[in-house]
Amino acid sequence: MKTFTVVGKRIPNIDIEKVTGDAKYVNDLFFPNMLCGKILRSPYAHANIKSIDVSRAKKLEGVKAVVTFKDTLGIKWIQVGPPFEDKYPLSEGKVRYVGDEIAAVAAIDENTAEKALSLIKVDYEKLPSVFNPEEAMLPGAPQIHEHVENNISVHRVRNYGNAEKAFQKSDLIFEDKFVVGPQSHGNLEPNGSISYFDEKGVLHVWSSTQSPYFVRKELSHIFDIPVSKVIIKRMYAGGGFGARSKVCEDEIISALLSQKSGQPVKVIYSREEELTTTRIRHPMIMYLKTGVKKDGNFMAREMKIIADNGAYNHCGPAVLGYAVMVTSSLYKVKDVKVESYLVYTNKHFGGPYRGYGVPQVAFAIESQIDKIAKELGIDPLELRLKNIYEKGYVTPCGFKITSCGLKECLEKAAEAIGYKDIKKSSDPFTGVGIASLIHCSGARVYADGDFSSATVKANSDGFVTLLVGNADCGTWSNTTLSQIAAEELGVSMDKIHLICMDTEKTPMDMGSWGSRTTFIAGNAVKIAARDLKEQLIRATVKELGGKEKDFYINDGIIQSYKSIGKVKLGESTVQFPLGDAVLASTERIGQSLYGKGHYEPNSEFIDRSTGTGNISAAYSFAAHAAKVKVDPDTGETLLEDFVGVHDVGQPINPIAVEGQIQGAIAQGVGYALMEKFTYDDNGNVLENSFADYKMPTVMDLPFLKTHIVDIVDDEGPFGAKGVGEPGIIPVAPAIINAIYDATGSQIKILPATPEKIYWGIKKDRSKL
Amino acid sequence: MKKEISLIINDIKHDILVESNRTLQELLSKQLDLTGTKHGCGTGDCGACTVIVDGNAVCSCLVLAVEVNGSRILTVEGLKKDRKLSELQQVFLDLGAFQCGFCTPGMLMSAKALLDSNSCPSIEDIKRAIAGNLCRCTGYTKIVDAIKTVGHDNN
Repeated sequence: MKTFTVVGKRIPNIDIEKVTGDAKYVNDLFFPNMLCGKILRSPYAHANIKSIDVSRAKKLEGVKAVVTFKDTLGIKWIQVGPPFEDKYPLSEGKVRYVGDEIAAVAAIDENTAEKALSLIKVDYEKLPSVFNPEEAMLPGAPQIHEHVENNISVHRVRNYGNAEKAFQKSDLIFEDKFVVGPQSHGNLEPNGSISYFDEKGVLHVWSSTQSPYFVRKELSHIFDIPVSKVIIKRMYAGGGFGARSKVCEDEIISALLSQKSGQPVKVIYSREEELTTTRIRHPMIMYLKTGVKKDGNFMAREMKIIADNGAYNHCGPAVLGYAVMVTSSLYKVKDVKVESYLVYTNKHFGGPYRGYGVPQVAFAIESQIDKIAKELGIDPLELRLKNIYEKGYVTPCGFKITSCGLKECLEKAAEAIGYKDIKKSSDPFTGVGIASLIHCSGARVYADGDFSSATVKANSDGFVTLLVGNADCGTWSNTTLSQIAAEELGVSMDKIHLICMDTEKTPMDMGSWGSRTTFIAGNAVKIAARDLKEQLIRATVKELGGKEKDFYINDGIIQSYKSIGKVKLGESTVQFPLGDAVLASTERIGQSLYGKGHYEPNSEFIDRSTGTGNISAAYSFAAHAAKVKVDPDTGETLLEDFVGVHDVGQPINPIAVEGQIQGAIAQGVGYALMEKFTYDDNGNVLENSFADYKMPTVMDLPFLKTHIVDIVDDEGPFGAKGVGEPGIIPVAPAIINAIYDATGSQIKILPATPEKIYWGIKKDRSKL
Repeated sequence: MKKEISLIINDIKHDILVESNRTLQELLSKQLDLTGTKHGCGTGDCGACTVIVDGNAVCSCLVLAVEVNGSRILTVEGLKKDRKLSELQQVFLDLGAFQCGFCTPGMLMSAKALLDSNSCPSIEDIKRAIAGNLCRCTGYTKIVDAIKTVGHDNN
């Protein structure tokens, strides 16, 4: 890898406020006359609303607004667009899961708001509900949305190549069923926002959104007001992971309450609301069939996916679409068939979540590989290495692999965990597992495209203002985008002042999701910085003479390779401080210096009829390895060691990259071993607090090791690719494969709780 | 029902009128503008609201303000001295021991409470001290590393 001045350096995070307590999140803001908003939610999983009486609530002293569907324009949210819109901000007359929003109140304080909720009288007609997607698909199942037969929101069959023929050529065929459960984003900061419709009818929203762009667009649509009259002001965000990558109900409802009351309204979810009513990772049932040759070559893959949508679509159609594409792109298999169903059930519903459908399918595919390896008598690592692809490959769904560190990642992961030693070791119930991944760096999955913009302004004091529309939800993008600007422009980091995320002032950016920030926003920033650099040099030439090509900027000084006029190189190097160039331009010529950057990668929209398209301009890769020790008497798994090896291209900031990988690994450990939602017969979520919804604490994790392999991508800014999501994808299969290695028992249902492992070992032992 | 209480918060004396059912977390963040102490769950499960009361790390969402009448409280805002970051804060910054930052105040206070009672903690000591602080972003590795580094510097 090349060496740069600022890029690639371990530069501390610029958001110092996070360690002083000064960082302001939504709930830290208090405005004069601000009201507290609370939401009335359905206690039933499926019911018609016969009537709502809000009269007593309205009369309660201190209540300033009570809203129901009648107070809206009756417009559904867009999310992924037609024909998938299926939800109104407040129930139109039917509720479809426990927690579905029916009404909302704004009052002078929380106690009054909650009292007002209790005074709203709703008359329900209970309907039969269905919670299992395979049951929901059957004729006669309760119909959740009137326009959707058999609760099947999406049914697609993708034929990449000819899987049927390829199965006929296979020596062995493996068929397995895998089931993965839901997962909460688990953001430490509960969802919330503050809205204010001012006297001019301009809607101001303070939100921790990952995409002000989408929130602005949705609110404009739902309230039927021009986009320029919706201003999203982004606060620090206590998490993200996809939970806030599209508009959330609290943003719409706080806006509605403000519209009605004429005052600012803050809506903050309780932890119970956060766990039981916000988006989740889509649970999936996967039937996986793989055909292989005796020598281990993968010949054919067929998967039937039944994704549990929950009560509404949200981004389900896109999540499933991407998961299907990646099913064809894990390892070299030319002939793949995927049949997928997205099925409504009366439960809280799925949305975008780190990995976007891939952790689910990767779990199935990677787990089965270890079973195949065992059957064929081939080492699981060797089997993978035999079937990986390289730069230049095009996957069956059309992903063009322009850089690929898969081999390096697998080899390094094995070496770092001590793979060979663990395999040879006779330690009982100790095992090692390995898994890999592919992921996009941004993806053209929405009709809007896949763009980012940035503006860079040079000031007369030599400082540079960087305006970005992207969101730092803890991903360190404030720091890494500043590094990119500093490197391209030739100034030190402390000269960059970054402003992000006020849609009135900052350029348009589709947001922080899809692992797009470094690659796409980073390129936009680089283009803007280069544009500014050229303007600064032009201003210098106008002032001093010489030729543009002979100038460069280093450490904030514009310098020349050649002597200019009377000043000879060597006598006194031509040095023109950046600030002086700004003055020269603004004061002598009256020209402000702004660099503008807009980047949209050369990727393709997904072809909806074939499920193909090179939706990203670069793909990241990784391999993870886990070492476990299982207690056969309790089924408990001790994660002794874990290593994540990633191909992220050029890391802009290694601390940030390591952090992303480690955090994603932790989230993956939770997914693999402990995080679950269970529902009672009435559809109530039982895990409604962190006491019951168990996320990994520090006690559950070893020191998480990371490595970055030496690969660059020509298209990425300074060679960088995305890293936000990939780290979660191979974690569960690496751990499950390690448990398989340790116990001989393959767990096919996540999470792999101690009970499952205990009974799995007993069952497999009894076969011996 | 309101009660008068007296507290020393970050070395400053406060005489406050507070509702009997107000938690310490609410008092700090809503009434005294010390918004660093976060509300993450309200049930003592996440540790985001951790502050130090008379030398002990506590979940301030589980403590009624009236219960700590007369106590010394330290919040994240009190870690700086003369407007300079404390060593603990500086090391968190230098080693990248945070991402979204929401758990960070609570994490810092748990670490501070530990280091005040044990200036050179082992990895096990550190893990036990922050076991009640959930972090969804970092995987804890850099946090443990940062606290160990401060401990090592103390040695």
